[in-house]
Amino acid sequence: MTHAHLDDLDAIEMPDGFVWRPIRRRFDIRAFGVNAYTALAPGEPIVEEHTESTLGHEEIYLVLRGRARFTVDDDDLELSAGQLVHVSDPSLKRGAIALDDDTVVLALGGKPGEPHRVSAWEAMFAAVPASRREDWDEAIRIHEEALEEQPEHPALLYNLACMEARGGRHVDALLHLKRAGELDPRWAEHARSDSDFAAIRREPGFPA
Amino acid sequence: MTDVDRGYQVLSIDDLDRYTTLNGTQVLRPLRRRLGFRPFGLNVWVGEHADDHVIEPHREPNGPEELYVVLRGSARFTLGDEQFDAPVGTLVHAPPNVFREAIATEDGTTVLAMGAKAGEAFSPSPWEDFFVAYAELRDGNVDRGRAAMLEALERDPDEWQGAFNAACFEALAGQTDAAFDYLRRAVELDAAEVRRYAPDDSDFDSIRTDPRFAEVLGR
Repeated sequence: MTHAHLDDLDAIEMPDGFVWRPIRRRFDIRAFGVNAYTALAPGEPIVEEHTESTLGHEEIYLVLRGRARFTVDDDDLELSAGQLVHVSDPSLKRGAIALDDDTVVLALGGKPGEPHRVSAWEAMFAAVPASRREDWDEAIRIHEEALEEQPEHPALLYNLACMEARGGRHVDALLHLKRAGELDPRWAEHARSDSDFAAIRREPGFPA
Repeated sequence: MTDVDRGYQVLSIDDLDRYTTLNGTQVLRPLRRRLGFRPFGLNVWVGEHADDHVIEPHREPNGPEELYVVLRGSARFTLGDEQFDAPVGTLVHAPPNVFREAIATEDGTTVLAMGAKAGEAFSPSPWEDFFVAYAELRDGNVDRGRAAMLEALERDPDEWQGAFNAACFEALAGQTDAAFDYLRRAVELDAAEVRRYAPDDSDFDSIRTDPRFAEVLGR
């Protein structure tokens, strides 16, 4: 598919309340990051509050329709269609709420000076609908696909382990959780209180 | 403290500079250049009137993949063998090597274009600077045009195209000595390419009869 309308993109409601409209993934764009976001209603989140410290991305948020109130580094910025905010400092906290019905924000991002690498969070977001309907096979498939490109990505391995634990693949879950913890010990710590691992918490090999 | 110093900046696309193509039917509003955005290429193109080009017919051989977003108006796109109408809100993905073109079907049709090569770190293309340089020159803003040209030369000092375009610019600006200095530099960098393009380039009409022209080209 070479073209699509914004309104025909998938609409994936995220647990934090905003709606992800995947563009890069839709067209399998490999050279840069691009997505759209919408909100459930005025006053609701449209861009989740976050920093880009981990990925080092420079970002642009362009309002395509409606209005949104951005908060960047604690500054409030009310932007309407045709206005953008360019956040060059990855450490700045940024987020937005929609102010109008039908507000759409286009998000662009990448790391300067490096070839673009597909962000691991895209697979985690893409797996949300499957997880919501407890289709663990599909959620696992989406994570495994992303891991083919980034096999040692600790967050992807951790999330895969979550899906596997929920889907009854306990041995796989323990193996992937162990590897995530080896790559980044914070994931082993996180696992101790993560309800996704209720079924394997007492298994030998679960992070103590 | 400016917003840029704070690590962010706010802008409306209506505040971007406007540069018209030589044939006057297409307007570039440089976005990446204005923001100093570094991860990939980003520009806004405008077809001021219906039937104007909003995206010129071209391919990107072994080059960037591109995404176009129709921000205002409506356009008729051609992508490879496919033709389709693209109203506001349409996203069009053009892989490398695929012919692409868009013609405005409404006045003021505005398209955001982004692109980069997969698997490579992005480096700004000098065409942006030279597009701006020539447009400023046509508007009589020689110094602003030269400043844009020098940006490209500083970024890619060893690309023959940069020195060649700078020679064109100075020839058009009436700075004959500077034009020959740049033409000599271009020959040093890639004599074959310069000899291929310079003889028929009308930008050099003002210096073609100067004996140095044949001398520099080795003819």
